[in-house]
Amino acid sequence: MLYINNLNVELENEKKKILNGVNLDINAGEVHAIMGPNGSGKSTLSYVLSGKDGYRVTEGSATFEGREILELSPDERASLGLFLAFQYPVEIPGVGNMTFLRTALNSQRKSRGVEELSAAEFLKIVREKAKNLKIDAEMLKRPVNVGFSGGEKKRNEILQMAMLEPKMCILDETDSGLDVDAMKLVAEGVNALRSKDRSFLVITHYQRLLDHIVPDVVHIMADGKIIKSGGADLALEVENNGYSDLLAEYN
Amino acid sequence: MSNTDTYEREGVDQDTVEAVRTVGQKYKYGFSTDIEMEYAPKGVNADIVKLISKKNDEPSWMTDWRLSALKRWEKLVEPNWAMVNYPEIDFQDIHYYAKPKSMEKKPKSLAEVDPKLLETYEKLGIPLKEQIILAGVEVGVDGTQEQRKVAVDAVFDSVSVGTTFKTELKAAGVIFCSISEAIREYPDLVKKYLGSVVPQSDNYYATLNAAVFTDGSFVYVPPGVRCPMELSTYFRINAENTGQFERTLIIADKGSYVSYLEGCTAPQRDTNQLHAAVVELVIEEDAEIKYSTVQNWYPGDENGKGGIYNFVTKRADCRGDRAKVMWTQVETGSAVTWKYPSCILRGNESQGEFYSIAITNNHQQADTGTKMVHLGQNTKSRIVSKGISAGFAQNTYRGLVSMHPKAKKSRNFTQCDSLLIGDKCGAHTIPYIECKNNSSRIEHEATTSKVDDDQLFYCHQRGIGEEEAVALIVNGFCKDVLQALPMEFAMEAQALVAISLEGSVG
Amino acid sequence: MPKTNLTEQKISSYSLPTEASWAIKSRKSALNWLETTGLPNRRDEYWKNTDPSYFNTIKKPERNKIDYVENSIFENIDRINIVFEDGYFNASKSDELLLKGIEIDTISVANQKDNHWSANYFGVLEKSSQVPVERTLASLNTAFAVEGLAIRITDKIDKPISITYLHTNDTSDVLIHHVIKIEKNASVTILESGGVASRSNCLMEVFVCENAEFDHVRVQGRSHEKIAVTHLFANLLKDSSMKSFTLTVNGKSIRNEYVVDINGENSKAHLGGAAVGDRGFSQDDTIFVSHNNPNCESRQVFKKVLRNGAKGVFQGKILVKDGAQKTDGYQISQGLMLDDDSSFLAKPELEIYADDVICSHGSTCGEIDNAALFYLTSRGIPMAEAQDMLVLAFLNDAIEEISDESIRTIIGSRLKDWMVKRHKS
Repeated sequence: MLYINNLNVELENEKKKILNGVNLDINAGEVHAIMGPNGSGKSTLSYVLSGKDGYRVTEGSATFEGREILELSPDERASLGLFLAFQYPVEIPGVGNMTFLRTALNSQRKSRGVEELSAAEFLKIVREKAKNLKIDAEMLKRPVNVGFSGGEKKRNEILQMAMLEPKMCILDETDSGLDVDAMKLVAEGVNALRSKDRSFLVITHYQRLLDHIVPDVVHIMADGKIIKSGGADLALEVENNGYSDLLAEYN
Repeated sequence: MSNTDTYEREGVDQDTVEAVRTVGQKYKYGFSTDIEMEYAPKGVNADIVKLISKKNDEPSWMTDWRLSALKRWEKLVEPNWAMVNYPEIDFQDIHYYAKPKSMEKKPKSLAEVDPKLLETYEKLGIPLKEQIILAGVEVGVDGTQEQRKVAVDAVFDSVSVGTTFKTELKAAGVIFCSISEAIREYPDLVKKYLGSVVPQSDNYYATLNAAVFTDGSFVYVPPGVRCPMELSTYFRINAENTGQFERTLIIADKGSYVSYLEGCTAPQRDTNQLHAAVVELVIEEDAEIKYSTVQNWYPGDENGKGGIYNFVTKRADCRGDRAKVMWTQVETGSAVTWKYPSCILRGNESQGEFYSIAITNNHQQADTGTKMVHLGQNTKSRIVSKGISAGFAQNTYRGLVSMHPKAKKSRNFTQCDSLLIGDKCGAHTIPYIECKNNSSRIEHEATTSKVDDDQLFYCHQRGIGEEEAVALIVNGFCKDVLQALPMEFAMEAQALVAISLEGSVG
Repeated sequence: MPKTNLTEQKISSYSLPTEASWAIKSRKSALNWLETTGLPNRRDEYWKNTDPSYFNTIKKPERNKIDYVENSIFENIDRINIVFEDGYFNASKSDELLLKGIEIDTISVANQKDNHWSANYFGVLEKSSQVPVERTLASLNTAFAVEGLAIRITDKIDKPISITYLHTNDTSDVLIHHVIKIEKNASVTILESGGVASRSNCLMEVFVCENAEFDHVRVQGRSHEKIAVTHLFANLLKDSSMKSFTLTVNGKSIRNEYVVDINGENSKAHLGGAAVGDRGFSQDDTIFVSHNNPNCESRQVFKKVLRNGAKGVFQGKILVKDGAQKTDGYQISQGLMLDDDSSFLAKPELEIYADDVICSHGSTCGEIDNAALFYLTSRGIPMAEAQDMLVLAFLNDAIEEISDESIRTIIGSRLKDWMVKRHKS
């Protein structure tokens, strides 16, 4: 589904290399986790894949369902089925949460040649999905993420994911700033979306999220590249021994 | 709030309260020193300007520079746009030159300075501890060995009376002397920079200053040098009917750093005295200047009689890339203040900051603020202004933030808060915002409120009296700015906040 | 050209109408003020950022290209419609003016009558608003405007009164002067729309009596070449409220001045404005809200979207007089610049002489928030649409100041319309 080949990335404004040849293959239906210390390039990878400004790809490629995506605009990538759950969801005063979600959904449907949803249909679906995530009607009416608590913002991200039904979901530190209950709720939301056609890339600093979203493959990232890959038990190894042993091994 | 926070705050506030208690007089710097003075005749004309120039042993280029300023000034009209009211000033009824007789022959060292002068500094007490330093003793506030040294240039009425720590500074390559000395000893530097930031033609008071300035401080920090100590100038107006027109010029050459403190006091007098200073800062590539002022000129009495008219032009020119300047001011004195320390952000990525506390009580009037002129790309500026108005006072923030078309990706943030104590005073905010490119961002916020009743009640309920509670709350209101001050000044400023508001409540 | 000379020439291009003595007195007083003070010029502080010569010149405006001849934007609203065509009242296109709770006369009729109710109101607020800042374009209007309406409201009127200004003559240069009085416990909504004229100077004096309500929505037509200066003078007595919202789309130079005097306790004044424009668009909101009594509230919410060399100016002042305790005053002015050759110039002022008040203002300008733009596009919303969403979101706070939802929708669609055209140009 998503194939990343020797991806090298530096910051656009300063000549600082962030990613140094990342290789990653994610097949349909798989859940991959990337773990790594702060500053290892995890979030940068998620931004580069979703098309954020400010980064320059110096080498390598990323193909999604056979299409080279690095030249595409963020909305084109989204319409292909790529979704990023933000570490820090952006607050947009003045834009209603519902308006936002409906515009996004219909834009994506339009670009795929699918008929747009009517207001009534949309409302029905969104209410149902919101209920599962314990998102109340009042929260849906407020402007996008404005005045939301940390947990509400993350649940809102998962709601968007559920509505937009992407093929590839990237979760960037979705567990940060969440207490155990909120994390469980978010994880349930994610697990409900797992299917043989949908893949996940879960970026996290801690193992605890992976107790709830059990990955097929775990990658350790350091210095802008993947230094080790393994099964779900690799995450436990990190949890018990920290990153230093692995880093020492790599160096 | 954590426990530590509470303790820290209590500690700080206790100092303020203590300061209020210990200071018996309303204006503690209100004594005058009885020293025999030499005056020039009242008034300003070409002869007076020539006399001032001659008294300072100036070369002819300097005399000519002054005369051309005078010529210009004679054609100018006093500005009236500020929100201040005062009777018309008769500029011909002022002495433009006054000098202690004992200074006729320049003292070679502080030991030769008239003891009465040194006594004056002694009497000035807490603020700068200059008298200790002037006396050449290196002790801290509490009598222990102080880590940081402060070099002081003291200006008494019109002339500089002595600069401390000269040798030590010289070893570091830093020039710190009176401007009259600099004109004689370093004419090339003076010629290159004098009037290059605040041109002769800048405004009415600056032009007058260019013609008649008598002395002031001069600092040059050579490339790459971090000035080994804080530099400080202490200004005192003593003589009656005298204008003080000092001129300060500070140059931070490439990659250098200097922190400069300025303190001002004047005796209590029934008549108004004029102070029209000019301060020019030149900041080259990667250099930084911190300029802190505690202005405590005599504010006049409770009925608005007497006090200093403080019409000052201060400007910093960030000429090189990544140049930085920070203005911090605590303005508690003067009957009328007209002052806008400004930053010209010419170099790319240069930065300007302005932190200000302006307190007006009784019949004081202040019209103060800053100008941030963004010319270079990626330039940044920050303005934090706290105005406190009590009694019958009027306090105005006036500022300009300007993003030129070429100043791409620049940023400004302005926070401008006013606090009113009593219903007979006024607080005004007049910002000018000009944005001429879209990649820059300007954010301006301003609020006006009174001392919060709930906070006051909370203090009272805990047994804190009215004045102390107000001092406490006002100090909290000013915290952002007080924190920007060098340590030596922060405590003094805090005490001043409390003293300035005495009698404003109840 | 020296100031007085210009003023003299301007004055000599008009003549005082023959009217009842009270009207002549008001006009002469305004003329006298204009003669002694002179028309504004660039050196005046209050004209620092907008060139007054657009409004000052004696010669007729350049032949305008009338790119939009439109009926009222409020066409589909149930309303009482009054039509002015190139500045002249058109009775045949207007609805019947005899209605319960409403008294309407044209000022040309009212000013002829010796004892018309407007005798005590015509020119009164214009005159009292000349200090501390001279507004001599308003004096010019009071002295010479012969068109306009005197509207007196004595009841709660459900149907809005809609004033439609058709613009068909490409060199029209007009003065219009309205006097509106909303009596105790009465309420009314006044809608204004249309291009007015190639150059217009419109003035409205509004007296809001005790417990009365005045709602005002104005849409200044879409022509790129129009030149307009407007003055809205309002006087609020106790327990009254006013809301005024103005949408400005395009134009060469538009200056909207507001002077609101809050003269009774527990009154509210809300002013809002949304301006969008390009191609040498210059738009200026100059506002003076004076709190003269305790316990009153005022809001100023002004937003400008600028593009392609446009200039947005905001000068807004809140004055809180001695004794006006418990005042709640708020003001926000914001500029959104869609490209690099536009400019936003603001001077938000607070002048406060009472201590127990909550007053604040904010002013920001900059480009579209890139983080928000990325967030929207990352959810699949195309770039252009995402930008439009953010532009509308930016204007939203100002549009929210309109109380009627159907009118809000109309304003929203006019803005969308502008944005669609923007993508094409």
